[in-house]
Amino acid sequence: MSRAMIKRVHKALADENLQTALTRLMGLIKFARQIAFTDIDFESLSKEIRRVKEKSIANLPQLVEQFKSQATKAGAVVYEAEDAEDANDYVLKLAKKHNVQNIVKSKSMLGEEIGLREHLEKAGIKVTETDIGEWIVQLAGERPAHIVGPAIHKTIEQVAELISKATGKEFGSDPQALLDAARHALRQTYIDAGMGISGANIAIAETGTLAIVTNEGNGCMATTLPPVHVAVVGYEKIVSRWKDAAAIFRLLSRCTAGMKMPVYISHITGSGRTDAIPGSTLHGAGCPGEVHTVLVDNGRLQMREADDFREALYCIKCGACLNVCPVFASLAGQTYGYIYQGGIGAILTAFLHGIDEAEDIASLCLGCIACKEVCPVRINIPRMITKLRASLAEEKGLPWMSKVAYQSILKHPQRLDSTVKAGSYLLRPFAGKDSIIRQLPYPLNSLTQAISLPAPPHQSLRDRLKDYWTPKKVDKPKVAFYSGCIAAYAYPEIGDDMISVMKKCGAEPYYPAGQACCGAPAFFAGDVETALSLAKTNIAALEEMSPDYIVTVCPGCAAVIKREYPELTASEPEWNQRARAISNKIRDFSQLVLELEPSSEKKPPRNHKITYHDPCHLKRGIGIFNEPRELLEREGFELVEMADADACCGFGGHVVLDYPELSAAVLKRKLKNIETTGVDTVVTNCLPCVLQLRGGLDKQHSNIKVMHSAELLAKCREVTQ
Amino acid sequence: MVAANEELTEKFKTEAIKAGAVVYKAKGIKDASNYVLTLAQERKVKHAVKSKSKLADKLSLREHFEKAGIEVKDTDFEEWITQLAGEKPSGRKTIKQVAELISKATGKKLNPDPQLLLGAANRAIRQSCIDADMGISEAGVAIAETGTLVIMGNSGDSRLAAVLPRIHLTMVDCENIVPTLEDATARIKSPGRNMADGDVSSYVTYITGRNTTADIPGAILARAQGPEEEHILLLNKATINRGIA
Repeated sequence: MSRAMIKRVHKALADENLQTALTRLMGLIKFARQIAFTDIDFESLSKEIRRVKEKSIANLPQLVEQFKSQATKAGAVVYEAEDAEDANDYVLKLAKKHNVQNIVKSKSMLGEEIGLREHLEKAGIKVTETDIGEWIVQLAGERPAHIVGPAIHKTIEQVAELISKATGKEFGSDPQALLDAARHALRQTYIDAGMGISGANIAIAETGTLAIVTNEGNGCMATTLPPVHVAVVGYEKIVSRWKDAAAIFRLLSRCTAGMKMPVYISHITGSGRTDAIPGSTLHGAGCPGEVHTVLVDNGRLQMREADDFREALYCIKCGACLNVCPVFASLAGQTYGYIYQGGIGAILTAFLHGIDEAEDIASLCLGCIACKEVCPVRINIPRMITKLRASLAEEKGLPWMSKVAYQSILKHPQRLDSTVKAGSYLLRPFAGKDSIIRQLPYPLNSLTQAISLPAPPHQSLRDRLKDYWTPKKVDKPKVAFYSGCIAAYAYPEIGDDMISVMKKCGAEPYYPAGQACCGAPAFFAGDVETALSLAKTNIAALEEMSPDYIVTVCPGCAAVIKREYPELTASEPEWNQRARAISNKIRDFSQLVLELEPSSEKKPPRNHKITYHDPCHLKRGIGIFNEPRELLEREGFELVEMADADACCGFGGHVVLDYPELSAAVLKRKLKNIETTGVDTVVTNCLPCVLQLRGGLDKQHSNIKVMHSAELLAKCREVTQ
Repeated sequence: MVAANEELTEKFKTEAIKAGAVVYKAKGIKDASNYVLTLAQERKVKHAVKSKSKLADKLSLREHFEKAGIEVKDTDFEEWITQLAGEKPSGRKTIKQVAELISKATGKKLNPDPQLLLGAANRAIRQSCIDADMGISEAGVAIAETGTLVIMGNSGDSRLAAVLPRIHLTMVDCENIVPTLEDATARIKSPGRNMADGDVSSYVTYITGRNTTADIPGAILARAQGPEEEHILLLNKATINRGIA
């Protein structure tokens, strides 16, 4: 997290035009997505693309050779460029050779990555972007805000101003008139251009074919009208066969724009030819006389060698991950500072621009996993971000504060206990009579800017549940309660609720006193060593009394124990086996209640409407979203679904500490969706979410109550029994 | 077989319409040429261009258009030269004959140098595509699952005629409709008898519906940079063979 990034985040959040444009856009995208996937089997199609990309990248050297030989045979010139400079020089030399004054360019992320337009402009050549969005951004002198929607951050008034200035005619904010003006202006540039530059969405090795996708038609014109065509293509775009391309096309536009197919796909194989003029076959018939393909490495081959990051090369640049990213929805692309945005942007930037540049982008990640869920190539972006942070921590070391926090305090449960106790003495004076802290003094004031905080309790959960450290020897399922830090130090009362509900479900609950922090903060910050040490502490504490189940109230902890412990211990077989045994016993609260009371009948209606918020790590982390709803309905509540129930509340990652305003912006959208339901209670199965939602609603003086399922259920059972 | 084809045609039609194209299924040759001519007249078309299309020849589209006072220029290089000679496709010409024809058409005396002649032809054909109100194409393959047209050609004119004019009409022989994108690739890779398997046309253009943009804030607008209207005329062999119906 750099000062420059904090500044950019503030600027984006304060930009009213940007926020208006983003809100409208995200609504549009959501609508498009809803209709785009109704008639297909997304799972199996995305598996197919994954297979295609895995194979293509594995066989890359052979495919490059095949592409080169086929394209050359068909009359194209293929050049392999090592880096940005190499590629830019090649294109500039070519332009000079043909004495080119004007160039038309269709959209190319690679072109942005290597700064091709700037390079040509510096040499005095006029380059016009032909994608209307890209053209608008060029007129504004900015960088694209989104892989597929470059100008999504602009309002209609801003666009009108730019087009009026460019054309010398006055335009109001009538979209149709603006479009006509743009088309008219651009049409002439194709005709005048001495060279057309494009990227390619796919390069097909078996025939040496480039496939260029556009919805506007600019790709067709920019590659056909000028006398010279140059395509700059990253190595990762190569696939073996036309059939592979078909699999990608089937999902690409659905993910991008909610369309079944792009409007135009221009396939170009070599340079066009005719036999019409007697003598010989002539190239350049009705098309550029020269077609060049520049295959660009610029870090890609290195990425191919890196086991942890290879899958970033599978990205088909559909932008779906940006469209669901709650951080992107608050900031748009320019804030990221580099060409590639969002989670995938952090990884690509690390290899294409440098790991230092990537650090800032990675610091914006909430860890909500929304990107992974929508990716048509099933790229595990969250995992790569964690790996990236681990590489950064290894290379540069952790910031000193994190180092102290993770390695000297978090690692040792007693020290954590005493640190929190000391902290609570200091903080308690700032709490109101209701034990809520609404305002902390500088330098902690940013923490209470968007949310109120619960006052640290007098007694930690460990002390509170002293009588429950060991289970009684009874013939009942033994349930170990793994609380996590938020329960332990912010909401210890949940311990009473958990014990009472578990007892009523016929189980024998207990609280393993040796448990420590799950290690998530260290793990996600890249401190693998601390995470592993904590994993071992917890495995030992949790297996001690051989529980039948381990119940959790924080899905972040549950996901780390369930998924990461086995992986963290992978190189130590004995620990790994123990980690797996623990992993299998992990249960979410609602999941366990349903398991313990499988045949319980539905309770009579309570005439009480509630809404449920899906915690990111519960739904997308361990796949639980039906159980909490089922349990609430079984208890007689009427569930009113909020919009985007599974969108992040903003409490993820380090964002809440590093960029509290950003966290607040994400929270604001969530609270609005909660309020729109009109209910008086929002239920969720995650205590960190409870803290964030309660804190946000308190700041808004809202009367809506926030409860963990365990609290609500304890209350229900108290009354009914 | 017939029923299966009917079903594919219907699926293609539905998808193409959903994507913004106007689709008409012709009842016969006369009906087809009437449809195209009426469309051209209603849209006040003065100049049309036509890339290679056997169906258009079957319909004698050019004759109908010219009778109605609408100019039709061929964009396929071979057909363009034939058109200049004012004859039906026939045997090969010598380079001298071609030089004479192109010189006459462009008003510039050109030597029988192939590259020079190609350049002159390129400029003329390109200009007629730029000036045309209507482009007429034929899709060698059409894809039912997405309503996609596949227009193939070895020269770039097939793409220019499809994208530059404000109205674009594509003729499709229903027998060339295939179910899926994968099915299409098999046909694309060996499109002609005289091409080796695995060879593809230099230009293969997929068109799905009408071009759009979401780049102007506020709405998704049709007619971004390509044609304003995208028309598809479906014909089937039985209809064509029935002749004047």
